[in-house]
Amino acid sequence: MPKLVANGIDFHYQQSGAGPDVVLIHGVTGDLSIWFLSEAMGILGRSFRVTAFDLRGHGYSGLPKSGYTSFDQAGDCLAIMDALDIEHAMLLGHSFGAVIATHAAVLFPARVDAIVLSDPCFPALRHLEDVSRWGHWQNFRQEAALAGVTLSDEHWYDLGRFFDQVLHLDGERLLRFRQAVGLPGFHRLLRLAETTCGDDAKVPAGLTEDLIASVTQPALGIFGEHSPFLATSDYLATHLPNCIARTVAGAKHRAPEENAAEFVRIVNDFLVANSSAVPMVKAAR
Amino acid sequence: MTTAPSRAEILHDIIAKLSEQTGVSFSGAINEETRFFADLGLASIDAVVLTETLQKHYGRTLPFHELIAEVGRRTERDLAIGELVEFLAAHL
Repeated sequence: MPKLVANGIDFHYQQSGAGPDVVLIHGVTGDLSIWFLSEAMGILGRSFRVTAFDLRGHGYSGLPKSGYTSFDQAGDCLAIMDALDIEHAMLLGHSFGAVIATHAAVLFPARVDAIVLSDPCFPALRHLEDVSRWGHWQNFRQEAALAGVTLSDEHWYDLGRFFDQVLHLDGERLLRFRQAVGLPGFHRLLRLAETTCGDDAKVPAGLTEDLIASVTQPALGIFGEHSPFLATSDYLATHLPNCIARTVAGAKHRAPEENAAEFVRIVNDFLVANSSAVPMVKAAR
Repeated sequence: MTTAPSRAEILHDIIAKLSEQTGVSFSGAINEETRFFADLGLASIDAVVLTETLQKHYGRTLPFHELIAEVGRRTERDLAIGELVEFLAAHL
């Protein structure tokens, strides 16, 4: 399988297509298969050279103990682009992957032509959201409770607490949780629970509200119609100078999976429109 | 000119590549009815890597994107090994 070394870590990646570069970044606890299951690799690959990689600690990439902030992983993204001779690219990130994409756009503006942010929850914008009031929260909490894990209204965002619980499940609760998430999912969570990923994902790591609002590259905020993070969607559309927001019908937080066809169509339209606009945007800076 | 591999040969190749990839010996434990996720406990990322490996093994680009996307559209997201055999038999 294709691997490269960046920042001293083995990264698994996959590529398809030819054309301007697009880099795909999945979310925490996920892996690059989301871009195959949603057909993003195939459909975007008709117009672009698409590169997807497994984040550190995920999928078939290496598992360092630390370095999971959006700052660290924006650095990974750029190091991977360097290793693959990708001079500049449009970035598409889902969930925390979108936070990483935004951080990369801030840190390395000359390398990032445009960003697509799929349902991000930025640590610095968390004050905008109250997921405990999200319509699906109680169901989500109930499902987790049935699986032996307690999610609190107050600490809904705290993956560190969640991982800690997973690490200390025993007996009946361990069995129930493993059945609920499946064996691969269970192993994935156990691996991450041994790292700083959960705690790292909840800190801004330098990506302040002001810096988020300073992103001038063309941006698409794409959210599920029933996303818990619609206040963030409004914020991005209002505060980023070149950001448009779109919703995906019927989807909650995982639009690339919950309505893949509409998600990929909206993303593809945005990327096609902005791939030709890239030189003009750069010239205008 | 090389002849296309038989279904039995394809199944043999799939089992061999899967064993290499996971470090688990699947010999005798897999037949065409075996389901990738429910029976083998594998994940979608394992399917992506396996299809990429098979593509390299057979030395040609195959439309695996379409097969995996089709799995993504299923309510019960799983893939029988026989479906993978069928797909390869149709494209090799």
